[in-house]
Amino acid sequence: MKRLAPVRVVTYSLLFLIYLPLDDRGWTQVSAVFWMPISLFHLLSGPPRNAALIGALEVLWKLSLVTSAIGLFSRISMFTAAGLGFYLLGLPNCFGKIHHLDGFPVLLLAILAAGALLRGRSSQSDWPIRLAQALFLLVFFAAGYSKLRHSGLAWMTATNMRDISLGELFTHTPPTPLASYLARYTWLCGLGAVATVIIELSALPAIFLRRLRPFTLAALFGLQAMIALMLGVYFTPHLAGYALFLPWDRLYAKLRQKPDTAPACNRLSLS
Amino acid sequence: MLPSRLAAPAIVIVLAISVFDIATGLEHWPFGSYPMYSTVYPQRLSWLRLYGVTAQGEIPLRGDRDFAPFDQARLIMALERIQAAPGAKQNLDDALHNLAALYNRQPEHPPLRALRLYQVAWQLKPGQRGTEPPDQRTLVAEENAP
Repeated sequence: MKRLAPVRVVTYSLLFLIYLPLDDRGWTQVSAVFWMPISLFHLLSGPPRNAALIGALEVLWKLSLVTSAIGLFSRISMFTAAGLGFYLLGLPNCFGKIHHLDGFPVLLLAILAAGALLRGRSSQSDWPIRLAQALFLLVFFAAGYSKLRHSGLAWMTATNMRDISLGELFTHTPPTPLASYLARYTWLCGLGAVATVIIELSALPAIFLRRLRPFTLAALFGLQAMIALMLGVYFTPHLAGYALFLPWDRLYAKLRQKPDTAPACNRLSLS
Repeated sequence: MLPSRLAAPAIVIVLAISVFDIATGLEHWPFGSYPMYSTVYPQRLSWLRLYGVTAQGEIPLRGDRDFAPFDQARLIMALERIQAAPGAKQNLDDALHNLAALYNRQPEHPPLRALRLYQVAWQLKPGQRGTEPPDQRTLVAEENAP
């Protein structure tokens, strides 16, 4: 479990910081006409109406992220974080549109909680990290595959990239005029379209090829940074996914001034 | 603590659902097929937009700024889905009524007399900045503020 401990500290701390501003109480004021439940939310009779209860659940969830990070009542804390995370991060998605930002953090919380419950021999203790790493990379492969499935090679044209960039100027609030700048150059639009799909598709082989992984992760991070600057869509919760690939075990060992005895397989590796 | 031999089936189930959603394009949140921006975009952009009627005339409104907890993308998608579903007229009226109440909860906003939902369109051209007015507007629904 040595390698799980630093990952747990980093993951829960990051998620706490990322979701500290989360406030779902406003959804109690939204009309039932907007209620379009997803997933297990179909089991509910309608949108929540008790703002005080939602507020209390939020406090409990954020507290459970902290106690999970520091390892206090760790199993109960991690299960609370996973259960309440599912509800609180899923709730906004029941009002018209699934934002694909919070799905991975919910899966990550569930995997870490399951890992705490299914603790076995030390040789098997890394499976939650490896599974979460694989799911994180699959998120990006899915996005690339979706583009080819829905649009084929037509997605990878300069015209399409130009229209996406220009369209987002009217429908979102990008923080920079980069999209407007990009749309002026056909070659830049074409390059951006082709690079986007190739980078996203490379996430699948990166699950199996250790040497490819750092390049793919760096390219994906750059891609998401460009999306944030150009389109105003922020994938901040995915920082927890990128963090899974960093060698926290080595840093942890250095901080404790102990020799790093962990095998190399947790360093940008699934195998 | 459960036996560790249950880890293998758990891993298989999680990966199977994930691969199933990717292969089929279905969404079983928190799993999904991540279809955002996956279609070819038209050069003529059509979009719903909300305008508030104040004493000074019509002002364009935005989801994230004016209708919290909605953000712009979620609000417009929700309105599109309501518009496309059975009972659209009544449901859109109810939706606008609720949105006007959400808007008026924020004291810094100028009071609304009415809320209007338009279908707006732009012909996309290089050089645009996103501040250009739509070249076409069609009124979809209107609701007096509560």
